[in-house]
Amino acid sequence: MQANGHDKTAAVRDSIYRAALALDDQRWQDWLELCAPEFHYKITSFSPEINKDMIYLQGTRKEMDNLVRMLPKHNTDHSPLHRHTSVYTIDVSEDGKTAQAVSSVVFYQNMLDGNNSHIEAGETRLFLAGRYVDTFAIEDGAAKFVDREVKLDNRRLDKGSHWPL
Amino acid sequence: MPARNHNQWSEAPSLKTGEWVDSRIYSEQEIFEEENEKIFKHVWVPVCHESELPKPYDFRTASIGREPIIICRGPDNEVRAFLNVCPHRGMLIERRPSGSFLEGQPSGNPKRITCMFHAWQFDMKGNCVYVAREKEGYQDRLCKENVGLRRLRCEVKFGGFVWVNLDDNPAQSLEEWCGKPFECLRKTLDAEPLEVFHYHKAIVDTNYKLWHDTNSEFYHDFMHYHNRVTGFNDAYFARKNEAFDNGHVVVGTFEVNYENYEGFESRAELSFPYLPPNQWYMIDLFPGFNFNLRGSALRCDIVTPLGPDKVMIEFRGLGLKKDTPEERMTRINHHNSIWGPFGRNLHEDLIGVAGQGATMRPGTEPRNILHGRHENETIHDEIGMRHYYDVWGRWMNRTPSEPDKPYTATAVAAE
Ligand code: FES
Ligand SMILES: [Fe+2]
Repeated sequence: MQANGHDKTAAVRDSIYRAALALDDQRWQDWLELCAPEFHYKITSFSPEINKDMIYLQGTRKEMDNLVRMLPKHNTDHSPLHRHTSVYTIDVSEDGKTAQAVSSVVFYQNMLDGNNSHIEAGETRLFLAGRYVDTFAIEDGAAKFVDREVKLDNRRLDKGSHWPL
Repeated sequence: MPARNHNQWSEAPSLKTGEWVDSRIYSEQEIFEEENEKIFKHVWVPVCHESELPKPYDFRTASIGREPIIICRGPDNEVRAFLNVCPHRGMLIERRPSGSFLEGQPSGNPKRITCMFHAWQFDMKGNCVYVAREKEGYQDRLCKENVGLRRLRCEVKFGGFVWVNLDDNPAQSLEEWCGKPFECLRKTLDAEPLEVFHYHKAIVDTNYKLWHDTNSEFYHDFMHYHNRVTGFNDAYFARKNEAFDNGHVVVGTFEVNYENYEGFESRAELSFPYLPPNQWYMIDLFPGFNFNLRGSALRCDIVTPLGPDKVMIEFRGLGLKKDTPEERMTRINHHNSIWGPFGRNLHEDLIGVAGQGATMRPGTEPRNILHGRHENETIHDEIGMRHYYDVWGRWMNRTPSEPDKPYTATAVAAE
């Protein structure tokens, strides 16, 4: 049981870190392959200004797939994002089939487009900070994302982004 | 024409006066200071929405220009606005963005607006009700009756927005100021209470007027893939672009084909009251406020200029207060798909104005910014900006194309 539980937390941790790398590298399909067909994604924040929990973006796996496929049609800030992720807790369910993980995440933006790239390109800025709250389905030793909530601390998002976080 | 030398580049364009402006109006500190003084201290500004302070004793803080403001709802349900400045030694009275005065504070009692510094307390009408050791310190020379808050003109109107004017005697009432441009949506916005479901802000290195320009010209739909595929048809190009007194503009409606963007859905099911399906109205109010209704969701942008090359833009999304959870979720999704911080259009709009800001830093050479498109006052006609800058010129007593010269009426303004 101990060893088994340990394997499962390792699988969860592995999926979270692989997702971080895939998203950093904008390998969107690799990211989506870590997700189960019933995957649901959302970016949320709480606003003390309007005293409301807010959803800034959400979608099913299909909708996220659509969103990333449409990216080339759009004008975008190309400054790459770099997420620093630390997995804080992993709770595997009694039956060992699902797990919940909470990670801390900080998004840095490595300026490329910037406002005046002559001056800003190459600089790294703090972009956003928050938590990943993830739910997994565990099958055959692999942990697939069934749900990801990116809980942002920010309400100031400046230019925002076209990319999933 | 091939690329131009300095003289050719700086020459007045072959357009009529009023069809272009000098970029210094977007970059000079002196002009910015003058705008704060001559414009922002005298116009009606929507500072928040009444649903952000739903219960008695709820409050919100905001600012107009550099003046901090507090808005609160009294036990009589009236929404009032005051300078958020303590009459004693000038402390910012309330530091939080929102909250309730029903709770006591470390320095003060429940149901009071308390300045934490020396514990002076005020009621929801702005009366000073407590001065710590009043008699001991002031004897009979000054009493709490003399030190009320600075009250501000405040009205809740046009769909429940809270409007404040720093001028005690504004030249026009709120209704006179912008009732006409709101006419197209008045019934819709006032049919039933609205509620804010979305808030975020951007601080961008650009002039506030450039953001407002982007909100009032639709020629830039060329940069929005979403708008090209869901719009660009005969009905789109026939949309009316109408100028109103005081520098306001309204862009008329047409039926948007949301399904033409892969994965997006029609908004017909959840139209705002009295609107046919999938309509899209845009009201742009001088000097920088925007109300944008796309079928199922209302967006409102409020600018707070922070410098000639810096602006804060607050973005709100609104639905109907009576929405079921499912309806609300649909409105939120519709809102976010193009207007959210991770939506398809807003990011593009912000990149656009940030790019303009990058070329118009204080001290850059003056350039001509063209507003000369005429297309029978339809969607890509730049009448909105021409009208805005004529009114801006009058407020500022400057000619927008030659800002060192006093205002003169242009032929274009009279059109
Ligand atoms: S500054 Fe507010 S009580 Fe003294
Ligand atoms: Fe736009």
